[in-house]
Amino acid sequence: MRALGYFIGAFAVALLLGIGSAWYMIERGSILTTTRIGPWTSWLSEGNPNADPYTRAHLARSGRLPLSSTAARYFAASTDSAGSHLSAGCEYMISGGPLNARWWSLAVYESRGSIIANPSNRYSFNSEEAIRRSDGSYEIHLARNARPGNWLPVGKDPDKDLKLMLRVYGPRETDASGIGQIPAESLPKIERTRCE
Amino acid sequence: MAVVLAGLIHVVAVLTLPVLAPRNAYARLAALGPANTMIQLAALKPGQQVMPNMAPDVRYAMCVFDLSDGPIHLRATIQDELWLIAFYTPIGENFYTVIGADMKREDVELVVTTEDQSVADATGDAPEALENLIVVSSPVSKGIALIRAPLAGPSRSLEAQRALGATYCGRERSSPPAAAIPGPAPLSSGL
Repeated sequence: MRALGYFIGAFAVALLLGIGSAWYMIERGSILTTTRIGPWTSWLSEGNPNADPYTRAHLARSGRLPLSSTAARYFAASTDSAGSHLSAGCEYMISGGPLNARWWSLAVYESRGSIIANPSNRYSFNSEEAIRRSDGSYEIHLARNARPGNWLPVGKDPDKDLKLMLRVYGPRETDASGIGQIPAESLPKIERTRCE
Repeated sequence: MAVVLAGLIHVVAVLTLPVLAPRNAYARLAALGPANTMIQLAALKPGQQVMPNMAPDVRYAMCVFDLSDGPIHLRATIQDELWLIAFYTPIGENFYTVIGADMKREDVELVVTTEDQSVADATGDAPEALENLIVVSSPVSKGIALIRAPLAGPSRSLEAQRALGATYCGRERSSPPAAAIPGPAPLSSGL
């Protein structure tokens, strides 16, 4: 009887550990699969035919159809640069350096990946639209209420969690295998400016 | 013992998850219409998007291809160098991508074949048809071709939608070289 109890206990622990660790490595990524630069996470092999099992599982769950890293790079953020969750109840200043690529776009979503309704129908800024300085750097205000310059609205509901996605198509710097390289300093910083 | 078992469960979970995920991109796109037909996706609206995290400033057209009855053809007039035509297996492996900026001509014709189908099946025996033809050898008999038209400016949406509406995906070979401009392709407006 004690042996059976021990067995059931061990099985329960194993189930929790096994599923839990699998979930974490698929959902959040790990050093094996993802690059983290400040608040940004990038799954290096997503879309690649030789991707590892964690990346495959992550991709299947995401429902997305990304380009492989030789054609484009994707960076997602759900926190600001200080590590706090991005929330529609706060305002943020996103400041990015020049990106050496054919085209890029920064879009905001609610945490499950839908764009957010707003009166100006503005869901993203791309390299052709954003007001930039002559060196290519730019600032985007993420806020519920209108802001001068590049204003990316986040809708009316202050309780929403937000997710940012930066897509860089045709990066001009590549490594030996043709994978686009985005220098860490050109990824935008996300600074919280005020909160309710 | 618990740790070994946990390891096993971990491996099984990671390997079975892609198979068990019911709403992957292929399932979402295949539900939109018949195979071997170009289907244009409407511009993103809140609450109406086929896949999560799609780009609001990219216009899309897609073709779920099925090569079991032979190769299929894909024709497009690439509007600008930003266009991308990407090919995927049902589990989302991006096995081939045509990059607009690398194309010398704006009219591109692709023929998608499985590894055991010959290109002659697809083109007939006219050698001139082989020029300007890009042969895409697909590792799978069913998959997805997804055309992305990133917007080169805020007012380019209609223009991009029109250009995507003129793309073709299906079994038909292109017309003889004399009429190199592809005829109006059937425009699928329904999402």
